[in-house]
Amino acid sequence: MGTQDIQPPIIHFANLDKILSLGRANSLWPMTFGLACCAIEMMATGASRFDLARFGAEVFRPSPRQCDVMIVAGTISKKMEPAVKTLYDQMPEPKWVIAMGNCAISGGPFVFEGQYGIVEGADKFLPVDIYIPGCPPRPEALIEGILELEEKVTGFRRWPRVEAK
Amino acid sequence: MLLARIKEALSSLYEDIQETQEAPEAVKDEAAGKVETAAADAAPAAEFQTEESAAEQEEAKPEEAEEPAAEAAKAPPGPKETDYTAKGYHLDVDLPPDKVTAAAEILNNENFFLETITGVDWIDEQQLEVVYDFNHFDELCRVVIRTRTDRNNPEIPTISHIYQGANWHERETHDFFGIKFVGHPDLSPLLLPEDADFHPLLKDFKA
Amino acid sequence: MNGLLQQDVNQETFTLNLGPQHPATHGVLRVKLVMDGEYIVQAEPVLGYIHRMHEKMGENRTWVKFLPNCGRMDYLCALSYNHGYVAALERAAGIEVPERAEYLRVITVELNRISSHLLWFGAFVLDLGGFTPLLYAFDDREHILDLLESVTGSRLTYCYFRFGGVYNDIEDSFITGTREFIKRMRKRMPMYDALVTKNIILIKRLKDIGPISKDMARRYGATGPVARGSGINYDVRKNEPYSVYSEFDFDVPVYEEGDSMARYMVRMDEIEQSMRIIEQALDKLPEGEIKPKKAVKMVKPEKGDYYHAVEAARGSFGVRLVSDGKNQAYRLKLRSPTYSNLSLFDEASRGMLLPDALALMGSLDLVIPEIDR
Repeated sequence: MGTQDIQPPIIHFANLDKILSLGRANSLWPMTFGLACCAIEMMATGASRFDLARFGAEVFRPSPRQCDVMIVAGTISKKMEPAVKTLYDQMPEPKWVIAMGNCAISGGPFVFEGQYGIVEGADKFLPVDIYIPGCPPRPEALIEGILELEEKVTGFRRWPRVEAK
Repeated sequence: MLLARIKEALSSLYEDIQETQEAPEAVKDEAAGKVETAAADAAPAAEFQTEESAAEQEEAKPEEAEEPAAEAAKAPPGPKETDYTAKGYHLDVDLPPDKVTAAAEILNNENFFLETITGVDWIDEQQLEVVYDFNHFDELCRVVIRTRTDRNNPEIPTISHIYQGANWHERETHDFFGIKFVGHPDLSPLLLPEDADFHPLLKDFKA
Repeated sequence: MNGLLQQDVNQETFTLNLGPQHPATHGVLRVKLVMDGEYIVQAEPVLGYIHRMHEKMGENRTWVKFLPNCGRMDYLCALSYNHGYVAALERAAGIEVPERAEYLRVITVELNRISSHLLWFGAFVLDLGGFTPLLYAFDDREHILDLLESVTGSRLTYCYFRFGGVYNDIEDSFITGTREFIKRMRKRMPMYDALVTKNIILIKRLKDIGPISKDMARRYGATGPVARGSGINYDVRKNEPYSVYSEFDFDVPVYEEGDSMARYMVRMDEIEQSMRIIEQALDKLPEGEIKPKKAVKMVKPEKGDYYHAVEAARGSFGVRLVSDGKNQAYRLKLRSPTYSNLSLFDEASRGMLLPDALALMGSLDLVIPEIDR
């Protein structure tokens, strides 16, 4: 979880916390932050057909200060790693990380013996909450990932689960 | 038309190569002098070069003496026309490194554009090859200029003052192979991280 | 503006960092700008933030196993990259391609080109501050993705071409679907025209902005719509006909102005030309095999080097391969068009206002993983 660095409050307001997390879950603000191919599918998810607005997560912000979800969409190169880390640090708490696509999960197709350029997975340096496999994942998969994140935030599932037949 | 014209123009570059074949001794002295001036040219740009590369240069010195003679011995006779359908290019020009600038100037005068610069590591022969692809907008005529340099002290004059587009291609080739383009304004890593001191496309590279 | 540049050297300038995370850089490009107030004195693009070692990978896997990489370099026009790579290998190893396969290649590549231009169109207008056209463009683009998905099996990073053919034959629904799409697209183009192209705000943002002269384009090796917007009539499909492009009747849109508007117009006109090619290809589509009877798994080109260029959505994509007679590359060089196209940004952007430079950058149509490879 991204909240691990914060001291837990001394007094808990159980019901208030629940309401806050419900609000947060239903208005996730992801960061406009495309690294590679997956970013195009992220754009497609936000655009006309898949319309992420239906799930309250369409407010893509270019500034990390205004975001609470970082969708790591693409390969993280060693040159890019410090920048991604900085962006994550700049996001206000509470914050979550979605690793979208195989590259962000494990380095994907770009891992080979003697590779010199990429970080093999976002979880090497970021606390990842949700993993979305695919190369690139379809927009439906990204939507499902966001719903999973909502569930993680609130503790219950708002939308019916789609079962594989 | 264009092909014949450019072939003739490029052939003129070979004239003094033929002469040097007859007098290899003269070449040796000349080339040795050239290395020194080249090093002087490179000095302002050398600030960012790592100690490692400086060490490489020193190591390479003993081998230098035999290199020019070997190069002169297999100097090619001139530009070769190739089978376009099989190879994808029309003219294959093998030149010593110091003729590349002159060749680029000839092509520039004929309004060719630079497609790409490729480095190749011939580790068995201890040589690095640089291949320049030129093409023409109006008439299909792909000219390949290739040149080889010693693997331990790879130095080739830049063409980035003639073709500004070569700037990045040369920087990339320097990134990947460590070939020093003498006279290039800035050879700092372009595609690799800023502090990279490795050359990943060399055949003996280990991550 | 030029006077500004010639001022005293101790004038106050400051450095502005643009990227690597900036919505207008379309990915992870970083530009170090030296600014004099709002004017750019010098712009230095910094690449490599998504360098994915494609050329190194080419050297340590077999020719066939490199195929999926092609779709991940230029993911917006993945099939062009597929085409360039397989065509280079076919040239090197002398593999014959059945005619039907060549037609299928042309049809799918041109569809891909339209989808690439549509995405560029949406993102470019978004850079300039207009959000709505993106939604229209993505709507049309999704139709193409549906069509391509039905043949290739993926939405974005296609790996459809094989040595000596294509992976899958098309169905009748693809043909009718494509014809319907073209009909639909022809109705949509006047709308784009009225909504965007003739929009006075767009014209004021693009006209005379970021001029690239013919000579500058040549010195930097610019190709594709960037060169064609500068009056250079160069299209690999016409100048160096490969595949079956010589059998189709299409025009190469060329604009002389060299400004951002010209590059915009070239791409919008190319959508129509691509549709013309697709229509003719569907009409002429021959029957027959689509791949060799026995799948090509081992390719061993003869020793030597080979070059093959194709026209990708962004310009001339070239593959230079050096073979030592083995089943994998000795050296695989991929010439990406945007690499050369972007290299002129420094010279072209000097003395420009920063927002105008972003219009210029958008009009170059950058795909960063293709630049960094």
